[in-house]
Amino acid sequence: MRYWKTLTAAAVIASLGGAALAEEIYVPNLSYRTGPFAATGIPLMNGQKDYFEMLNARDGGIGGVKIAFEECETGYSTEKGVECYEKTKGNAVITQPWSTGITLQVLPKTNVDEIPLLANGYGFSPMADGKTFQWAFNAPAGYWDAASMLVSYIDGQGGIAGKKIAFLHLDHPYGKEPIPLFEKKAAELGFEFLPIPVGLKEMQNQSAQWLQIRRERPDYVLMWGWGAMNAGAITEAVKTKFDMSKFIGVWWSGHDADLALVGDAGKGYKSISWSFPNADAGVMADIKTHVVDAGKSLSNPEEMSGVFYGRGLVMSMILAEGIAAAQAEYGTGVITPAQLRWGLENLNITEARLAELGMEGMVPPFSTSCANHTGHSGGWILEWDGSKFVKASDHIMPDTSDYAELIAEKAAEYASANAPWPVNESCDAMN
Amino acid sequence: MIYRTVGQFKTSYRRDQALFPVRQDAFLLGVILIFAWVIFPLTASEFAFQTLLIPILIYALAAMGLNILTGYAGQLSLGTGAFMGVGAYACYKLITIFPWMNPIVAILLSGVFSAGVGVMFGIPSLRIKGFYLAIATLAAQFFLVWLFEKWAWLYNYNASGAIQVPNLEMFGVFVSGPQATSMTQYFIVLAIVSLMTVLCINLTRGNQGRIWKATRDMDIAAELIGINLMKSKLTAFAVSSYIIGVAGALFVFMWRGAAEPNLFDIPLSFRVLFIAIIGGLGSIMGNYLGAILIVGLPVVLNIVPEAMGLDIKSATVEHLNIMIVGALIIFFLIIEPHGLAALWRLVREKLILWPFPH
Repeated sequence: MRYWKTLTAAAVIASLGGAALAEEIYVPNLSYRTGPFAATGIPLMNGQKDYFEMLNARDGGIGGVKIAFEECETGYSTEKGVECYEKTKGNAVITQPWSTGITLQVLPKTNVDEIPLLANGYGFSPMADGKTFQWAFNAPAGYWDAASMLVSYIDGQGGIAGKKIAFLHLDHPYGKEPIPLFEKKAAELGFEFLPIPVGLKEMQNQSAQWLQIRRERPDYVLMWGWGAMNAGAITEAVKTKFDMSKFIGVWWSGHDADLALVGDAGKGYKSISWSFPNADAGVMADIKTHVVDAGKSLSNPEEMSGVFYGRGLVMSMILAEGIAAAQAEYGTGVITPAQLRWGLENLNITEARLAELGMEGMVPPFSTSCANHTGHSGGWILEWDGSKFVKASDHIMPDTSDYAELIAEKAAEYASANAPWPVNESCDAMN
Repeated sequence: MIYRTVGQFKTSYRRDQALFPVRQDAFLLGVILIFAWVIFPLTASEFAFQTLLIPILIYALAAMGLNILTGYAGQLSLGTGAFMGVGAYACYKLITIFPWMNPIVAILLSGVFSAGVGVMFGIPSLRIKGFYLAIATLAAQFFLVWLFEKWAWLYNYNASGAIQVPNLEMFGVFVSGPQATSMTQYFIVLAIVSLMTVLCINLTRGNQGRIWKATRDMDIAAELIGINLMKSKLTAFAVSSYIIGVAGALFVFMWRGAAEPNLFDIPLSFRVLFIAIIGGLGSIMGNYLGAILIVGLPVVLNIVPEAMGLDIKSATVEHLNIMIVGALIIFFLIIEPHGLAALWRLVREKLILWPFPH
């Protein structure tokens, strides 16, 4: 009997606590600090969390309203992802799904539940079409942006025509996505494109793939890898003495810990990225005073200087800017998911704004509109110097005209396959 | 006391062989059915539908399919996940090629495809047994998942390489896709699972079930008394794969809404196998008990700390959860190696005799 009393008391307290939450904005994050991808997940999650902790401690939240940032652990499993989505969607203003599988699962529900979906730099590239995917955002850049930037970077390094480019990718929706664009560019610019898939089961043992690379002698190897595949490919490249300066990964293949495994031998390895860790930025100092010194951070100095932690900060910044924009537009503190959607559609991250936020050089400036949910920020080539990543190029922009048609076509395909699929009729901006 | 069978006289053989010779069993089942059909739908939240009720039913059905093969016919299989995938992809192709087709008909038909594939991969069972057969079905697992990845026709050349469930209507109500309500989907799943359960119970109690059990217990003896082993093993593969295929179609169409090929990989096969083993091989009810333990319990454990007002990090809860569920599995297998169904059988027998232990 006594147990029941305690339980009831706990329930009453919990429900009272729920009432007190009303003056907060609930921002869930479907994190993965456990499971096979935890090594890459933890720095990203820490960055995201620390940015909101810092805003709460320094400014009392955004626009005076506290941000209730809460993680729901998925372990990168789609099943747990759905569980977390159902658990959080009641009060959430946003869904941050964090895996391609969970994104695909949640995407069709966005039109019904009307909660924005924010997949920074991942997810489904056609989400750039904001008219079709009203509730989904993948700012600041998608995979087709990355492919376009890589092609123009290689072209700038002495011409791409006649070169042979191998594309080492995870044999999964994520890895296959840029192939149509690469094939199109290969036909246009006259380079040879050679896709080399790595199955989910062969991520750690890529000897067959690298044997093929040795035989084919490509001029460049591009990589769309994730998790254990990155470390596998990098160690294999070192073993086969592949010229590291000709090996370029997408932004998810630029994790400091993967390169630290090979240290100096990895010197010259590159990765395209829309984020860069700037240890001298104002935001880092603020996080140090308000979060780290207050003992609220789960991170450590080594991790905080890495690319992925910095990327986590940028992701939270994008969301925070969306919240602030929505608050300013609607003149209210506690915003609704629909208002946040307006905010995310009207992001305008300029150099001046980045300086104000103390995030100079951490992300290229970009802006979104109701038709353009990506922003196409462009990015930099980062190079591993033996102990850390440094910027190795100027700001590169993607040529979005190359795949505007592809985006429209795939978005229309998605909409018709999921009919009835309401689109944003009121949006007349051009992508 | 509650289970007292005194005074329940059976006056005919027919009544003695009835599904529920003890009145209390029928009563208990009635209560469960009332809960499943009336009380849960009326009280469950969206969260409960999506994370507890629907998945438990679907996993229980898949485990039931496996149980026919492994528990009743004694043929070990590790290809369950892939056979579920065959059902799901078949249903997807049926729906996209024939958009006018009734979704429930499509789901029931898709099992036919997986039954076909199952029989094909069951042929080695005529020559090999036990662990060796498990390896042969493992081949099905690898081959089929590879096929789901490589054969673009299966997912209609979709850019993402995944299948997305369209919005499907039946009599003016959306039954699948994002527009469908959880309640509708729950009732469809419940109806199909109930139907399959009744079929399975009768199948395993009847002539065919006895043939399977004879094959399981000693195949040479079974052959000597005139059982055609080829027919017995292949029908087990067919029936089992049919049920698993239907479970797979429900899995994607009534619950997940989208699926990528690696969803049907080995972890899914193992999960279903664990449900069947922990629930109890050679039992129908065990599948439900196993699914509740393996699928339902982690979800419930996840919300406990929050409901108690404890502030524990989500990742920590996840770690604790894995430990608790693991410990419980070991605990149940130690106190009753034959699974939860056997545990219930034991409890029931004690209850009937209670308060006299001998």
